[in-house]
Amino acid sequence: MAISSLKNILRPGFVGHTFKSGYRFQRYWDKPMAIAFFCGETGAGLFIVSMLIDFLPGVILGLLITGVGKTFFHLTHMGVPQKSWRAILRPDRSWISRGLIGIVFFVGFGTIHVAGELFGLVPDALMMPVYILSMAGAMVVIVYQGFAMSHSTAIALWSTGLMPVSSMLYGLLAGTSLVTFLTSFNMYEIDADRLVMVSALQIILIVAVQLALLSLLHGAKNGSKGAQQSYQLLTRDFLARPFLYGVVGVGTIVPLLMLLLLPTGFIVTTIVAACVLAGFCLFRLLVFRAGVLDPILSPADIFRR
Amino acid sequence: MTSYGMVFDVKRCIGCNACTVACKQENSLPDGMFFTRTLSFESGEFPNVSRSYLPTICNHCEDAPCEKVCPSGATYTRDDGIVMVDGKLCIGCGSCAVACPYDMRTQVDGDIIKGGLFGDGALTPFEEQGYSRFECGTFTKCDFCSERVDAGKDPACVATCPTDARVFGDLDDPDSKVSRLIRERKGQQPLPEKNTRPKVYYID
Repeated sequence: MAISSLKNILRPGFVGHTFKSGYRFQRYWDKPMAIAFFCGETGAGLFIVSMLIDFLPGVILGLLITGVGKTFFHLTHMGVPQKSWRAILRPDRSWISRGLIGIVFFVGFGTIHVAGELFGLVPDALMMPVYILSMAGAMVVIVYQGFAMSHSTAIALWSTGLMPVSSMLYGLLAGTSLVTFLTSFNMYEIDADRLVMVSALQIILIVAVQLALLSLLHGAKNGSKGAQQSYQLLTRDFLARPFLYGVVGVGTIVPLLMLLLLPTGFIVTTIVAACVLAGFCLFRLLVFRAGVLDPILSPADIFRR
Repeated sequence: MTSYGMVFDVKRCIGCNACTVACKQENSLPDGMFFTRTLSFESGEFPNVSRSYLPTICNHCEDAPCEKVCPSGATYTRDDGIVMVDGKLCIGCGSCAVACPYDMRTQVDGDIIKGGLFGDGALTPFEEQGYSRFECGTFTKCDFCSERVDAGKDPACVATCPTDARVFGDLDDPDSKVSRLIRERKGQQPLPEKNTRPKVYYID
């Protein structure tokens, strides 16, 4: 068989885990990993926004979402959970290692910060270094998962610099949405000017997320054959309805219209937060589900002679 | 310096999958686990139909993406270029599996290792002698039969291939059979655009 005839193998068509040649879905990072990513970015986003406006309930909730939720779902995913601590060993090359160090800084120094704020256990001179270290850890946590995905050249949909950007934008959007929701209970005194700033930031972030989603689709549409398959899946195939209606519609358009057209109140902030979180969680699940591996023999020019 | 690699002569491959069976036997691979597969594809329309075969294996990339993303140091490259996995260090996070463009990583299913093929916990003698090498939940892959290579033998798939479609040797030796085949018949690497620099080549 000549290599020239091998190009027939390049026909579109998914083959699953069979002995056929064709497109394959990545199948090793599934729902628990997607939810762990969602928890990590949401918790870090909530923590960062809450720290910036001195909203302690948000700080505590952000720590819990990441420290408990993310950890639980990661351990659920791990093949050997009892050895998970070893993931910290290679920060020189692995974003997962760097992320785990970020989580340790974020949760560790974040908890010390909360202890200082609530019980005065931390000397005043140490509060600023603790604040900076916990924020630095949170910044790593909010972006490292995007970097871990973009590091994978195997899956063209993920292999883009937009992954860490979308992680950060979505994390901060989830954070601002949860802060506006939590502050609507009026149980914790907070500066009104800062809340106005958070509300404005929320609108800007929704638009930024929409641009990131559009850019992600544009890049996939014009990327490798595998990326084009991912684009088809997300816009025309069986993932199109949850992506377009769920991630784009419910997750960004509905909250944007509600924030722009309706007077702010408890019901509006609740629905907006629910829509944003649902859209974000769906985005994480669908991006994992739409990860496609190119066929072994690619459409590279070298195989087209 | 030795740098082991493999050449697949796709013109010679008849798709018998003897390599797949030899690999499973050599490595005691449980049900559903494969280190090498010969993929097939039908083309054309009746009555002019043909079936093409494409042997696949871990490419032992020089710039192995699975090694770069491994957070625990379980994946490493030997001095002779063979990319290895230390099951005792692997945490089963799957980052290597999503980083491999060739889909050549596979997870060790604990149910099969403990329950055996028949699922009743009674391992066959073959399973008993072989399954002890696996750590449940970890990710593993082809290691070019490193124990055989260390003993001066070819990997099991190469030794078994009835048509000599698989050739194994030192890519750094310009006089080795693999180097000559790549040079003379313009060997091509799979997915070169991924920049992983695979040490497996295809020739026609």
